Amino acid sequence: MPDTTTPDSTTPVTTRAFRLGVAGPVGTGKSSLIAMVCRELGDELRLGVVTNDIYTDEDARMLRAAGVLDPERIRAVETGACPHTAIRDDVTANLLAVEDLEADFAPLDLVLVESGGDNLTATFSPALVDAQVFVLDVAGGGDVVRKGGPGISRADLLVVNKTDLAPHVGVDADLMQVQGREARDGRPVIGLSRTDPASVAQLRAWVLAMLGAHRSGHHVPVDPGPMAPHSHADGGAHSHVGGDGVHAH
Amino acid sequence: MLPHPEFAAMLLADGRLPVGGHTQSSGLEPALLGGLEPRDVPALVATRLRTVVLVDAATAVVARHRTLAGLPLDDLQLAWAARTPSEVVRAASIAVGRGQRRLAQRLWPGSAAASALAPMPAPARPVAVGAMAAAAGLDGARTARLVAYDDVQSLCAAALKLCPLDPVETTEWLLHAGPGIEEVVAAVAHLTEPDGIPAPSAPLLEQWQHAHPTHPRRLFSA
Repeated sequence: MPDTTTPDSTTPVTTRAFRLGVAGPVGTGKSSLIAMVCRELGDELRLGVVTNDIYTDEDARMLRAAGVLDPERIRAVETGACPHTAIRDDVTANLLAVEDLEADFAPLDLVLVESGGDNLTATFSPALVDAQVFVLDVAGGGDVVRKGGPGISRADLLVVNKTDLAPHVGVDADLMQVQGREARDGRPVIGLSRTDPASVAQLRAWVLAMLGAHRSGHHVPVDPGPMAPHSHADGGAHSHVGGDGVHAH
Repeated sequence: MLPHPEFAAMLLADGRLPVGGHTQSSGLEPALLGGLEPRDVPALVATRLRTVVLVDAATAVVARHRTLAGLPLDDLQLAWAARTPSEVVRAASIAVGRGQRRLAQRLWPGSAAASALAPMPAPARPVAVGAMAAAAGLDGARTARLVAYDDVQSLCAAALKLCPLDPVETTEWLLHAGPGIEEVVAAVAHLTEPDGIPAPSAPLLEQWQHAHPTHPRRLFSA
């Protein structure tokens, strides 16, 4: 009676991929972004994908159906209705899924971990991913960036997605990006649309640059933190002086 | 130095133990999707204690014994698998067992438990828990109680998400499961051999769980 296949841990995993998390609210295009990365980099990088669905394995199915990657290289992790827990408080199931992919398809260059669509406060633990992208979209409203959150402020990359939809939803996509840069102390922001090849090239270049930084040891995984920058009662939103703006009161 | 056994038992029974337990509903979600009425959940708990939990608790007790005796756990895992006929149920157990193994290797490196689990990349949950119980200094009774308690507490926590109700109610279920849990403890705490593990059958529970992975709407892995 064969059980489900699992790696033989007596054979040490000799390679550890660069692990990139993709977080952001529901419907902002996390799966599409991952499909885009697979399409753009699948020929030059060895890839794996772990999805975290809240309610179904919809994202894994969608990615498999997209035909951008060998379906065997896409694994779904169920999160027990706790997408936040699975990428932050108890990353065990995700870590095992990532390590399985790394062992089954060694050597991999990049493993993408998609969070279950959650709210603005959900970010990955550095114990699970080496870097993370936070994805917003213009259709979610132009004020989302101003509302802030740890992912918006301190993820390694903020993507403002679906910029092509901006005229249809009455949002200024350029302003969203400007506000994103203001909220991020110079950390990168990409306004992305799959119909805009230049923006796709930007994303592609960022992923490759991060992979390079990771391999050279120059990139240190950072926790975006549970605390969002905030407004005080006087109405002035601000970040406090010093360091990366993270502070406790 | 071993932790105090009460302390060790509390540590290992913590629902927030980082082993991926939050992905499990102890068969509750499959049962509800299979048509179980929420009012019958306490009956599900009682049935699990008499069947699948009895098997798992016995497996953990024997794993603890064999770990302390320096014996391999492969035959035990087979004995557990023979009593856990659905590969879906086995896979769900192994998913958490791997998390338990990872934790045991971190908390008690160099222990008999770490050695026993080293050649087993995919231990069943009770096999890994039993080995860890050996490292933590739990006796057979505490080991069995840990497994049974954990099954019921996971189910109660999942119930709050699946059929929301006042959480004091699910905590009351847990309290009321106490006598049933002690029956499990009394039945298995003395076991030392894989052949001694009871082999009850719970075909409806198996059927519900077996159908679970193909269900299009689910929160939990099992």
